[in-house]
Amino acid sequence: MTTSARATGQLDPVIVEVVGSALSTIVEEMGETLVKAAFSPNIKERRDCTAGLFDAEGLALAQDEGGSPMHLGSLMGIVGAIRGRFSEADIREGDVFIGNDPYTGGGSHLPDIVLASPIFVGGRISAWAATLAHHADFGDRGHAHIFQEAIRIPPVHLVREGVQQEELLSLILLNCQIPEERTADLRAQEAALGVAITRYQELCSRYGVDVIEGVSSNLLDYTERRTRAAITEFPDGEYTFEDLFDAPELDEELTLRVRIRISGDEMLFDFSGNPPQVRASVNVVWTGLYATVYYTLKTLIDPDIVPNAGLYRPVTIVADEGSILNCTAPAAVNGRIETCQRVVDLIHGALVDALPERVTAASNGAVTGVHFSGHDASRGRDFVYLETIGGGSGACHDKDGLDGVQVHMTNTSNLPVESLEAEYPLVVESYELIEDSGGVGRHRGGMGIRRKIRVEAPDVHFWLDTSRQKSQPWGLFGGGPGQSARCVLSEDAQPVDHGYTVLQPGQTASIETAGGGGYGPPEERAEAQLAADRADGRISEATAQQCRQD
Amino acid sequence: MSLRIGVDTGGTFTDVVAFDDVTQHVHVRKVSSTPDDPGRAILRGVSEILDQIGGRNISEVNYFAHGTTVGTNTLLTGNGVLTGLITTEGFRDLLELGRGRRPDMYDARADKPAPFVARRHRFEVAERLRSTGEVERELDEGEVREAARQLKSAGVEAVAVCLLYSYVDPKHERRIADIIREEHPEAYVSLSSEVLPEFREYERLSTVVTNAYVGPVVYRYLAALREKLAAEGLTAVPHITQSNGGVIPFATAEAMPVRLVLSGPSTGVVGAAQICSAAGFDDIITFDMGGTSSDISLVQGGRPKVTSGMELDGRPIRSPMLDIHTVGAGGGSLGWIDTGGHLRVGPESAGAFPGPACYGNGERAAVTDANVVLQMLNPEYLLNGQMKIDREKSVDAVRRLADPLGLSVEETALGILRVVTANMARALRVVSVQKGYDPRDYALVPFGGAGPLHASRLARELGMSRVVVPEIPGAQSAMGLLMTDVKADFMRTRITSLTHETASQVANVFAELSAEAAAWFAEEDVAEEGRRLVRRLDLRYAGQNFELPVEMPEELGEDGMEVIAQAFHAEHERVYGYSSPEARLEAVTFRVEAQGSAPRVELRHSELGGEDPSGAAIGTRETCFDPKEGFRSITVYDRSKLMPGNVVQGPAVVEQMDTTTILLPGDRCVVDSLRNLVITIGEEA
Repeated sequence: MTTSARATGQLDPVIVEVVGSALSTIVEEMGETLVKAAFSPNIKERRDCTAGLFDAEGLALAQDEGGSPMHLGSLMGIVGAIRGRFSEADIREGDVFIGNDPYTGGGSHLPDIVLASPIFVGGRISAWAATLAHHADFGDRGHAHIFQEAIRIPPVHLVREGVQQEELLSLILLNCQIPEERTADLRAQEAALGVAITRYQELCSRYGVDVIEGVSSNLLDYTERRTRAAITEFPDGEYTFEDLFDAPELDEELTLRVRIRISGDEMLFDFSGNPPQVRASVNVVWTGLYATVYYTLKTLIDPDIVPNAGLYRPVTIVADEGSILNCTAPAAVNGRIETCQRVVDLIHGALVDALPERVTAASNGAVTGVHFSGHDASRGRDFVYLETIGGGSGACHDKDGLDGVQVHMTNTSNLPVESLEAEYPLVVESYELIEDSGGVGRHRGGMGIRRKIRVEAPDVHFWLDTSRQKSQPWGLFGGGPGQSARCVLSEDAQPVDHGYTVLQPGQTASIETAGGGGYGPPEERAEAQLAADRADGRISEATAQQCRQD
Repeated sequence: MSLRIGVDTGGTFTDVVAFDDVTQHVHVRKVSSTPDDPGRAILRGVSEILDQIGGRNISEVNYFAHGTTVGTNTLLTGNGVLTGLITTEGFRDLLELGRGRRPDMYDARADKPAPFVARRHRFEVAERLRSTGEVERELDEGEVREAARQLKSAGVEAVAVCLLYSYVDPKHERRIADIIREEHPEAYVSLSSEVLPEFREYERLSTVVTNAYVGPVVYRYLAALREKLAAEGLTAVPHITQSNGGVIPFATAEAMPVRLVLSGPSTGVVGAAQICSAAGFDDIITFDMGGTSSDISLVQGGRPKVTSGMELDGRPIRSPMLDIHTVGAGGGSLGWIDTGGHLRVGPESAGAFPGPACYGNGERAAVTDANVVLQMLNPEYLLNGQMKIDREKSVDAVRRLADPLGLSVEETALGILRVVTANMARALRVVSVQKGYDPRDYALVPFGGAGPLHASRLARELGMSRVVVPEIPGAQSAMGLLMTDVKADFMRTRITSLTHETASQVANVFAELSAEAAAWFAEEDVAEEGRRLVRRLDLRYAGQNFELPVEMPEELGEDGMEVIAQAFHAEHERVYGYSSPEARLEAVTFRVEAQGSAPRVELRHSELGGEDPSGAAIGTRETCFDPKEGFRSITVYDRSKLMPGNVVQGPAVVEQMDTTTILLPGDRCVVDSLRNLVITIGEEA
């Protein structure tokens, strides 16, 4: 620490910017390497992964932003967990640690497997590198508690001083449903760590380890300054909001709430008083809650801000242990992202009066996932098709919400129809925006999506994850709510129960996602925009009339 | 008696290069561009260069090639024509749904690109093919006719047609085209099965819509220019650059304008590749730095890397093109201080107006101002005196950043250069490191107005040891127009398992494409001996959803499939770091690139003379490389007077009309037999 402090004194903002850019390049390269070397489509194409660099103490220095925002901050506990578990003597050059347990230092649910390595410079640990990837394994599981969801791995040595721990690996792989894919994807994660170690050591030999460590600590201060500068502009005060949350797994809607206090250059996010954790997959472990708050803060403050530990400093997050937003073992967590989506809307809702020009009305509020699996006799194999479908985003003070996009905590791509029909016994009958699904308003909420899929094989298992089927995404300042989500099956099909049914050849599932809320009174909508929406079939004649009359 | 002319229209200047077959001399002329009617500058430039060579006549021109950004600009400014779309029932919203992602992960205010076809002009018709080509639902011609009529009455000028699986069987699209032509004969009709017979419906749709949207604009532009040139007396067939780095006759280009839209920087790369190959550098990274951005691309074994598509303004365009990466860092990029107190540079640019502060109209410091402050650039004038420079304005602008940073003016100016260098280094890593190439194995080849000024610094940042500055870096794209081939691409998606049993299927698809290429060669009158085919196959491991192109051997023998598989595993290993030799392979898209030799400039090597460069020394300049050491006097050389064999030791400046090359302390520069500056990067500085 003393060397860093000494170096810090001599650093000008140019070297901090230049080396900071180099550190960001390292995490970008880690992300690229991981995505390139991975095998499974979930990592390779949907980019459900991230990579980060940490200082010797485990403070986040830089994180790859190409992946899902759900991972922003998901890695923050990992270095601390390793250091808490192993003595200094037991952490050596060439070690790689593996873990996935959200309760003992993994990601925010079990499919997120984390690999981390110390980076040694001159015989001591100067930094840490970590990668996290969502391994799309562990299908067809129960979600009453975490033991049903997948194997739990605390942070342990996968590699000791360069030697792969084969016995451990074989234990892990025996618990995976597609072990070949896991092997390739884990290898990709290790390759990304290798890139980080090489590049970081190159930087140290070029600038000197003291300068790099000094820059690292400066970068945290820098992000902290930018964060505080932004928060200072927010009006002080206490802001609260509550909203309903539903999921196919839950029998009842839950009320979620937040209290936000802005004072000077600091913010408190108080999630006290939320419902206790549930016997379902939608519980959120603390790293998941933190990731959600940091994502939201970054979008509200400055999308360009570097997400390092400096962002965390002016922010305090509180939630009751054992509640749905800060669950404890053995709560199941697999579907935590549905809940996190609602938390983003909660924060926007709370800050409406403080930041009316920065927040948006509620977005579709879900990560709508559809999952078809079964046996495909014509191709002679089993199949699993998973897709997430976007919806409307909320309108803001000066523009409409976006029609048909992934919002907030996720941003994955769909699979082209021409790919999926060639691979699976499924036919996409339509993929379209839903008329009148966006909330009316001076600025209209974004439209939801309808994706209608026909099944061509017998006994196809169908699961649906979504939210906002029972409530509607709210509008702001007189703007109307977006339309709810729903799933419509062909008449002869067995109804969906708790998100599950079995479909037969010729039957269809039409999945509709929610629209976003509108912003401002609908009568203030410009006539030209109303006319355009009407001509483009985004709203019905009835809706157009209603807006004109209001 | 004969002349060859290349004309490259840029945002600021129109560059004209003429090669005289008799004297074997290259002549260069720069005139101001006329964006309202680019043809005016072209005709003026041509007429001026003919005078410059000595009263030559346009009828002596036996080859004319043109590079333009008219397609790109039409897209970027949204000035295409009113366009309609006919598509499969259930899918009219695909154009805006795309792949489902929002445009910016963290900026909730970022907009999706407005679709080039309004929803009201997108018509669905009943019809459906399956992936095998089987017709599940026949085309409802009545619906098509009704849609065509409505599009006509809505006043659309162009209609794109994109149906699911049209790459397997285009019959429904073709029938739709017939009906549109009956109902709306004036419309420009564009079929996805002709523009891009490849799978993945959204990318194909976006591409065919783009083609329709810019089609009439490009068509009119080329037709008007063709007429004007003919009226001036040009008898040669005029050619135009495509995004793939080759040229085609204007008339051919009019049908497939989407293949032109990213042609801007491509011939510069082709020219650099040839010049450097002749100079003994087959592996290079080109660095074309202009006023607002830099274009970077990689050339391996003398051949520019190609790719099958990119995104422009968030809209995918699939078209064979050189793999060029653009970063918002140029001479006009502005310095600024963010809320955390850091010095940042770009992507905001001072643009053509107000331009850098030293031009006299702006207040904010651009990269050019930093160079003027440190006197890397001539502090009095640029462009042989055509552009006056006010150094005091640069100093004032940089001081506005220096004071809040607590740094001196010189430290801040150097800071701007270091930050912009870091930004460019990051972009350069994208085309190299991220694609499995180590930049240290490549020579950096800078051109454009600002490339040679920053190259030595950039090379150091990346550990590259060699920089090669071509003779005419300021008109590299125009030069490249005279060094490229006529080129056309043919492709088709046929998802086929790669086994011994399917060898004949693979061969058949290539035979079909080769026949199309042969017909094209005949149409373009390409001489038999000048024809060349490059065949590539996009392959993947079964179960994956992305492909890697592999170049095919000339002849596929008995073990053809084996050879292809080996090549794929090797490429997979190189790009992704592993291969799975036991996995099943799938052939996806078949590609044939047809190249025909166009008359090219022959590069002439000169005898090497002595090392002493003093004959080219035209003065000295006080320049600051390190603010701690202050300004030091360095020699200024005139590029046109440097002779092959001359050796210049850095620090030094080499000036030429439209660019300045900086040698940092420790650099050693040799003028080679092609008059390139070959710089060995020094250890110090």
